[in-house]
Parts: sequence; structure tokens; C-alpha cells
Amino acid sequence: MIDVVVPGLETSVQDFPGRIGFWNQGFPPSGPFDSWSFRLANLLVGNPAGAAGLECQYVGPTLKFTQAAVIAVTGADMTATLDGTPVPLWQSVAVKADQVLKMGPAKSATRAYIAIAGGIDTVPWLGSRSTFHKAGVGGLAGSALKKGSQIPVAYATGTPGRSVKPQCRPAFSSTKQWQIEVVPGPDDDWIDAAGQARFLDSDWKLSGKSDRTGFRLDGPQWTFTSKAYDKLPENGSEPSNIIDHGYPLGAINLAGQTPIILVSDGPSMGGFINPYTVPSAAFWKLGQSRPGDVYRFKAVSVDEAQALRRALDALCSENSLA
Amino acid sequence: MIYDKPVFKPGGDRYMLIEFGDELNLALNFTAHGLGDAISQSGLKAVIESAPCFASLLLHYEPDLISFADLRREMMALIDTLGSSAEIELPSRLFYFPTCYLDPWTKACVEDYSAKITPKKWDAEYVAEINGLSGPDQLVRVHSGTEYWVASLGFWPGLPFLMPLDPRSRLTAPKYNPPRTWTPQGTVGMGGAASAIYPVATPGGYQIFARIPIPIWDPERRFPEFEHSICLFKPGDRIKFVPCSVEEFNQTEAQVAAGTYVYNVVGYQKFSVRQYSDWLATVDASKRF
Repeated sequence: MIDVVVPGLETSVQDFPGRIGFWNQGFPPSGPFDSWSFRLANLLVGNPAGAAGLECQYVGPTLKFTQAAVIAVTGADMTATLDGTPVPLWQSVAVKADQVLKMGPAKSATRAYIAIAGGIDTVPWLGSRSTFHKAGVGGLAGSALKKGSQIPVAYATGTPGRSVKPQCRPAFSSTKQWQIEVVPGPDDDWIDAAGQARFLDSDWKLSGKSDRTGFRLDGPQWTFTSKAYDKLPENGSEPSNIIDHGYPLGAINLAGQTPIILVSDGPSMGGFINPYTVPSAAFWKLGQSRPGDVYRFKAVSVDEAQALRRALDALCSENSLA
Repeated sequence: MIYDKPVFKPGGDRYMLIEFGDELNLALNFTAHGLGDAISQSGLKAVIESAPCFASLLLHYEPDLISFADLRREMMALIDTLGSSAEIELPSRLFYFPTCYLDPWTKACVEDYSAKITPKKWDAEYVAEINGLSGPDQLVRVHSGTEYWVASLGFWPGLPFLMPLDPRSRLTAPKYNPPRTWTPQGTVGMGGAASAIYPVATPGGYQIFARIPIPIWDPERRFPEFEHSICLFKPGDRIKFVPCSVEEFNQTEAQVAAGTYVYNVVGYQKFSVRQYSDWLATVDASKRF
């Protein structure tokens, strides 16, 4: 067991790739926002890359280990210490029984990950241990960690002192600017040429009205092709309205004039168009940004997006460890 | 219209959206579900899951196993094997729900939106007006005058996307711009030509004017209807909204809280596409209740 002394802002149990296979009933996958950092944390402690670990958001937790363990902390720097001694990021570390891991606010980026050798051993719900906060399911009693929570662990041996090669770690933006890849479609043909150029040439600020279901963006107005106007009334009369259809995860969903990136706990269907989709290999950048940060979008093809995914998967492997 | 050939659109690196048409039409919904079933039966490993909706099917695929172009070819071949939906007969449960139309809760939600986000006419008045109805009272008659077809589940766990089966109850409305940040649990609303029930308090974009007191998803499985799934509905079910008073709503809500509520559902009927089409041909869709 790990005792939660201080829960942090919103620390939750997640696994990768999350709750897959229930999109047709409306269940999102959940899972870690930055699966790059998450998977490397698991590999450092000898776990399968997708084993359940902790996602810490903005401010990390304080945890007391009731048994000896091997852990790794990756992602955003939350100045982790173990009984007061700094814990190196991107490295596997031995923890003795009764030692306390203390984390603070993120110095840069947004989300940190804690993996424990053996993985977190909560009861899976619909095949996954990932927390789906808004529905109150998965994870530890369906919610973020609370003060006094006890986290069950399936302890296994791990090797301390392993590290991720520097060139295999994600590079977080220090300028609050992020370049995010997007694949045009499925509904890019509803946006006119000027609107498409405006989307790719403008700054988009991540709004404070964002959560695990959607990242709302502030930016210029959208303009449309005739497809958005000359349509049957069952689409809904607003230009962004379409007959309800399945949403890809990562879709840039245009609700009226508000673009919302559908992220890990997002809706599976709805009646707004999705002109662009953020490919899976760019999700980590969404996960490490915070409200006020600025996105610039870069169009890539389906093939390029799939190549990025393969490159990222290759980085999330033993070969990245020293 | 129903497209001559389905349209295949990419969604990032791992999704494909297949559109069969751009109208609300039962045949299109059968095609979407038919392809979803055919994919499951084909054992095609590259497709991780599929999500059928009114007139389209979203595929989540494994790009390491198949390219977009090859997947498109596989799907074309499967679509060619789908028979006509004209002779389909399938078991279809019918759920009756006491429904408080023009209720105080959705009205308060719209007022809150108007005050905090952007001024907006009460949805019941607005939907009545743009559909040429005499007012909210006729909206209640028209909206409750039909059985609804559960075309798919999505948006939120267990949320049913509904299509009115009686063309005289067909209404259309734009979706909110911008969407609401919250909606009361059990709200009934509509957008485009579709209706839906919000299983829990969530953001939303539909026009809202009614509420049911009965859970349609239940992770704790307190009622026997949730024995096999925590979502009450499955595609092919039907729903009838029965107008009720605030008092009856409150009584039913108390029964739900006490665990004594009995779901009003009949399970002895089959839905026949042939019989439905024959009946549809006799109905004057321009008439209103």
C-alpha cells in the first residue's frame, strides 16, 4: 500500500492505452495525457509500458510508502524529494519502507508521472484501471486521490539506477508556445480556403474552460464552404452543425465558433463538425501545456501522422533506457 | 440524401469516418449497424472498435496493421456484402418514461446560460417558433406524439441518440452556439432532427425542454434492467415519452431514490422494417398533432 498524505491537485490512477472498446456505448479511453512520459516511467521500473501508474496534474502529491519499492518519476518537474533528498527525474529509484515522496507545483510543463515496480493494483473497470473522473468510475473509487486514500500495489522487483537517455525524453516548451500537428479531416471540406489558412496561420490560446473532456481554444472566427449552409435541416441550421456522428479522439470539434480538442475523457459522438484531428503522437504536447499557452497547428498527412506514431512507439521502448 | 458510394474520411492517424448519406433515415442507420456487425463477424484484427451513428460509422483502427487505403478497400468489400434492410425484423424493447415537459429545471438551466454566456430565448418557445408550432404546448404534443428509435449510444456513457419514428413528430433545431457547460441529469432535448436524454449532468448542445426522473445508466446496477450493462439502452430499442406533472416527476424520483421504482418496459415486440415502411407510406408527414 501507498498512503496518500497530500493528494495534490488532481492525482489519478491511469493505465495505457486506457479503456478501449466501449466507444460505441460512449465510454472514453481516459488514460495518461502524456503517454510518452508515462510509458517511459513504467519501463524504467521494469513494468509493461501500459501498467497502471499515477498522473499528477499541476501540483503533485505527498505519498508514504509502507513497503520498499522501486519507483520512477517522469514528465513535468514537480521538485520531487524522498525524505527531503531530491529525486532525479527520468530515473528508477529505490524507496525504503516508510519513506515519504513529496512533490510540489510543476516548475514547467503540467503533468508528472509516477510508476511503481509491479504497478498499481486497483480493480479494473471495463478492462482498465484508468480513472474516468466525470463518471466516477475506474481508478481508486472512481476519483482522484484523496487525503488518507490507500493505493494498492502489486509489488515486483525493479532495478534502481536505470535512466532514460536524454535524447529519448520529450522536450517540453519553455516559451508557452507549442507546435501541434493536425491531420485535416474528417470535416475539413466544411471550412473554406480562407478559414483553413486562418486556422493554420493563427495563434490559438488554450482556454481556462478546459478539462479532461475537452481543451477549448480562443482564436479568430471560422468561415465555411457552402456545405455548411446548403444542407438538410436535420443537420441543424448553424454552419458548424452536422447530423450526429462518431468523433475521433483528438478531433478539433467546432461547436458554433468555439474549437474544442476532444481529449482523453471526451465525448464519442455529437452533432458538430470536426475539421481537423490531432494525431496520437501529438497528445503529449496537449498534456504538458496549460491554460494561457499558445498553440500553432501544423498540417500533416495521415501517412506522416502514422510515421510520427511509429517513431514515438519506438522511443517508448527498452532501447531508450541506459 | 443517401450517397451512391460511401464517403471515407480520415480522423488523424487511427480513425476512419464512413458516411452513407446526409439525412436522418432508418435505412442509413441499419447500414451503419450492419457494417459494424459485419466487421465484428469478419474478425478483422486491424479494427479495434467501431461506433455506428445515424448515417455513418466511425472506425478506430490499428495503423501498424493496416493502411488507410487498404482499410478502405476492406470496408468497400464488406459494404458490398450487406443485404437490403427492407426485410429486417428485429426484437425491439419499448420503454415508457414519465416526462416532465416545460419543467422548471431545464428552464432554470437556460436562464443560467442566458445570464452567464449569451442571451437566449427559452428553448421550448424557440423550437416551437422555428417549427411553425403554436407554442410550447403544441411542442409537447408533437414531441411526445411518437415512439423514438435508439439509433446509437454515444457522447456520454449510455446517452441514446433518438430518431422520431412518426414523421408528424419530426422537428428540427440548431445546436447551441456556444454549447452549455452543464445540463441537468435526465434532460430530454433535441438538435438537428435528433432527440437525446442526458444520462448525467454534462455539457451539451441540444435545445432542452423536458426531464425524466429515471436513471438510464447506473454504474452501481441498483435496478435489474442493468444486470447485463450499466447502460439501459441498446440500439434498436424504442422510447415513448409520456408527459407528466412536476408532482408525478417528484414522486417517481423518490421511488428511484428508494429503489422501489419499476421500469415500464415491454419486451414482446419485433420491429419490422417492411411494416414500418408500409405504414409510413400512409402517413401525411405535413400534418401536426
